[in-house]
Amino acid sequence: MVHYAFMIPLFPLLSFLLHLLFRKRVRSIAPILGCICTLVPLVLSVGVLIARFQGTTYTKEIEWLSLGKTAITMGVVITPLNAMMLVIVSLVSFLVHVYSKEYMKDSERLGTYYSYLGLFTFAMLGLVMSVNVVQLYIFWELVGVGSFLLIGFHYTSLAARAAAKKAFIMTRIGDVGLLIGIILLYWKTGSFSFAAIFQSVASGGISQEMITVTALLIFVGAIGKSGQLPLHTWLPDAMEGPTPVSALIHAATMVAAGVYLVAIMYPLFLASSVAMTTVAVIGGITAIFAASIGLVQDDLKRVLAYSTVSQLGYMMLALGSGGYDAGVFHLMTHAFFKALLFLAAGSVIHAVHTQNIREMGGLWNKLKFTGPLFVVGALSLSGFPLFAGFFSKDAIFAAVYHDGRYVLFFIALLTAFLTSLYMFRLVFLVFFGPAAEKIYRENSIILLAPMVVLGILAVVAGYIGSSWFGAPLQRFLHDGTTSLPLEAHGPVWLPYVAILISLAGIGVAYVRYGRRKDFHHENTSSSPVTMLLKNKYYVDEVYGVIFVKGAAFIGTIFVFVERYIIEGMVGTLASTVQWLAKCGSAFQNGQVQRYGAVAITGLALMLLLFIVLTGGYLQ
Amino acid sequence: MNWQAIEWGAMLPELIVLGTSLLLILLDLFLRKTVSRRPLGFLALLGVAGAFSALVLQLHEPSIQLFHDMYRVDGFSKTFKMLLLIGTFLVLCLAYDAKLGREENVRGEFYYLILTALVGAMFMASSADMITLFIGLELLSVSSYIMAGLKKHDAQSTEAAFKYVVSGGIATAITLFGMSYLFGLSGETNLYSMAKALQETALPDQSYMLVFAFFITFTGLAFKIASVPFHMWAPDVYEGAMVPVTAFLSVVSKTAGFIFIIRFFVLVFMMSKGVNSDSLLQQVQPYIIWLSGITMLVGSIIALRQSNVKRLFAYSSIAQAGFILAAFSVFTPALFETMWFYLFAYVLMNIGAFAVIQEVTTRNNDTGMTSFEGLGKQSPWLALAMTIFLLSLAGIPATVGFIGKFGILIALLGYGGLHYVLAGILIAATLLSYVYYFNLIVQMYFRTGEVKEKRRSQKGLLIVTIVCAAATVIFGIVPNIALHFFYEQFSISTFLQL
Repeated sequence: MVHYAFMIPLFPLLSFLLHLLFRKRVRSIAPILGCICTLVPLVLSVGVLIARFQGTTYTKEIEWLSLGKTAITMGVVITPLNAMMLVIVSLVSFLVHVYSKEYMKDSERLGTYYSYLGLFTFAMLGLVMSVNVVQLYIFWELVGVGSFLLIGFHYTSLAARAAAKKAFIMTRIGDVGLLIGIILLYWKTGSFSFAAIFQSVASGGISQEMITVTALLIFVGAIGKSGQLPLHTWLPDAMEGPTPVSALIHAATMVAAGVYLVAIMYPLFLASSVAMTTVAVIGGITAIFAASIGLVQDDLKRVLAYSTVSQLGYMMLALGSGGYDAGVFHLMTHAFFKALLFLAAGSVIHAVHTQNIREMGGLWNKLKFTGPLFVVGALSLSGFPLFAGFFSKDAIFAAVYHDGRYVLFFIALLTAFLTSLYMFRLVFLVFFGPAAEKIYRENSIILLAPMVVLGILAVVAGYIGSSWFGAPLQRFLHDGTTSLPLEAHGPVWLPYVAILISLAGIGVAYVRYGRRKDFHHENTSSSPVTMLLKNKYYVDEVYGVIFVKGAAFIGTIFVFVERYIIEGMVGTLASTVQWLAKCGSAFQNGQVQRYGAVAITGLALMLLLFIVLTGGYLQ
Repeated sequence: MNWQAIEWGAMLPELIVLGTSLLLILLDLFLRKTVSRRPLGFLALLGVAGAFSALVLQLHEPSIQLFHDMYRVDGFSKTFKMLLLIGTFLVLCLAYDAKLGREENVRGEFYYLILTALVGAMFMASSADMITLFIGLELLSVSSYIMAGLKKHDAQSTEAAFKYVVSGGIATAITLFGMSYLFGLSGETNLYSMAKALQETALPDQSYMLVFAFFITFTGLAFKIASVPFHMWAPDVYEGAMVPVTAFLSVVSKTAGFIFIIRFFVLVFMMSKGVNSDSLLQQVQPYIIWLSGITMLVGSIIALRQSNVKRLFAYSSIAQAGFILAAFSVFTPALFETMWFYLFAYVLMNIGAFAVIQEVTTRNNDTGMTSFEGLGKQSPWLALAMTIFLLSLAGIPATVGFIGKFGILIALLGYGGLHYVLAGILIAATLLSYVYYFNLIVQMYFRTGEVKEKRRSQKGLLIVTIVCAAATVIFGIVPNIALHFFYEQFSISTFLQL
């Protein structure tokens, strides 16, 4: 089975080409073609995963480029980590293809849409299977191109165009770090292949400073792709893309690529404590920063976007704290429950035709399937006991605690509280409370089926990484390698604290947002019998206000930080360049004598500089 | 001189092009005015194709020298001539489709001027002597001046030609002045003897003069490649000239300029002593680095504000010259392959882009960026081709431009020192280039323009876009085909050997 692994990305590529070539003619069968071209890779991926489970790491490569003495290969490698990623990517991609059949059915450019999806899936699968860093980089950039096209799919909207461009250029800033990092690594270790690089790192063939520099440069790439601070602003804007695209790109695949990058380069990061600390700190700050902003957003998808940023921060925090298993585990569970949440959000939006949660409410009874599925996702994300997110988050807490950076540990716990708070704020505002008068119909089975699959996974996926069952995922990830740190076990009280925090967040959300209707009722009926109850409620309300307002206040501050400091710096840089461009254009005045004068002056300056620097005739 | 002893076969490619141009001149002169000159374009294409085949036949023959070692047919000249011939062939296809309007009567002239310019460029590639180098340079330049002003009823074209002639005159004067220093110091015109002479008689004072000579000739040649400080003519001339001419100037002429730079500077200055240093070229390396960096930044930054697509490409081509100069600043054997490959990539992607520009600007009769609005909807294939070219120019993987830039970056980062700074500037300039290239992509796909009438299918344009787009992708995916060819043909020892 493993020998057919190279075919996995070819089917989505075929899908891309076919849809591109015949996008006018095959409109009616476009979704089916797309689904088939992602179902085959899914089957193959599962086969490859099983084969890897039974066998060993498989590598196949051919020489691709020789630049002087530099020979670069292309190929396929199947390690436990990327076998797992293959299944995640192809599964989510397949489900999104199915979901899109219904969701995008009114789109005029259905064929184009499916061709972009194919391109993206191809690039992402290719990235995951890369045998060396150059191949990874190439697919890494192609993923960016696919994402650019998909975000800007609704090109008639100005916001979508701006978001697509922003996403592309901002992630590109990160990519530049990655590119320089891999070329420097090449010069210091003499190879682009993962194994040779790690070998060189282990045997001391590369200096400590260089390890730190290259690890940090590679991390810059991860920051850009995974929307970490300060390059995160493109991700919330990218919500202008169609919702299934958000589920695919901005939940399960592309944004997780940054985390995946750190994970596959893990031996390099482990060799530098500076790099590890940087990863952990950036991850931790991003986690709490984005979570608090998520609390004050009113756009359903933007809340989920900030939540994604925050969860990716979690994964980085875990990786930076030596919790390789925890980070990868959370990457997997997050892919499922966040994709579920996005698809459920899409289903809500599809039904009510707005993204503003202030205009929603009481949908629980109207969307009989979407509602529970969304709640499953929310519970999983909030780390509610026995849901997938609970296990992976618990593993992260354990890793961070074990690592001994208690400030980061505290941040992680606080973020967990904020996470369940903002998620259940969404749940209560969207599905409960006063309902609009309109009648909404539940969406069709094609929209629901993918959500059901993800819903099941959002519950059960946690068990494969749970120590209750002997942690099969962790054992699998460590198969065939000894360089990875073993999983840390936290103190016994940790899961209980985690549960408590998760419930506290849900409880506060309930108090603050879940009883809006009751609140109105009680206000109107001022019967003395209910005084006691009312008082009690008042106490709750005070707590609610303190927690929620406090958190929201921090959130608002962070919104300002984001808007005025981070965006401001970017803006200043951009306007400086624009100003320079303006000066440059103005200098080009169309007078040929000026052009000649510039050349002669340039020559004179060079000569002068040379004489001044070397002494020359002035001596 | 015994005429029979000369191996004329070695010059066959040049002779074919020259012969074709003479034939075209005669035909253009004697054919009646009413006869369409379009078929002459076929002849020109045939000539270039013939020269290309002759060159291919030469590939496996050993390197030889002709005319008292003035003329060299070695791996370097063959591989770079290949680029010139491919570039010119594509430009001729564009010229075939060019709409001349009132100037239809100059069509014949247009074709043979491209050919004479090509002969000049090919001469430069094979020259081993300052005299032949200079003659080749001037033949190329003078033909180009006329081409720039071919539309004589068009004020903009005339202005472009005028500016080009004046700037070119200054550049020629500067170049010659620098060369005269070298002749004075060495007493030779042959590059190889010159290198030897300069190496042997290295008085301390001479080194200063030599460095001066380097700076002076470099500034003169900066004109040909449109790099700082002699870059400012490019936007005006590119804007005024017809699109095929602009394509020729920005690709073939620039390639020829780089050929001159490599042959001349590496041979003469690599071995000669600088001031307090062993190699003069090493000594001026920081200057080349800074000039390359400044060129990239000037091109990329000013390009951000351009609303005319031809001007945009002028600045982009200035930035590209900076990239290629960056490859030149690395004095390892990698210099040749990275420069050759980048130029190869540049020929394909830039001419391809100009093909689309020609079609779009003729269709709209407007060279503003807005003429690309809604192209994605109206002519999806044309827009797709343009997207490929732009992605390649921006250096996105799976295109030939990425491999080129990747090679340059590897070379730079392997050298260390000041080259790290240059690598940083290259990256910054690339990021800026994303902004302006993607602006065009956004225009094509994300905006809806008014529906324009489609022109009848343009054969030359079709060939150019298909060939360039396919090659851009194919060589981006399997670049080794081109690189292997280069390694097979080129060897540094035959380049340096007397």
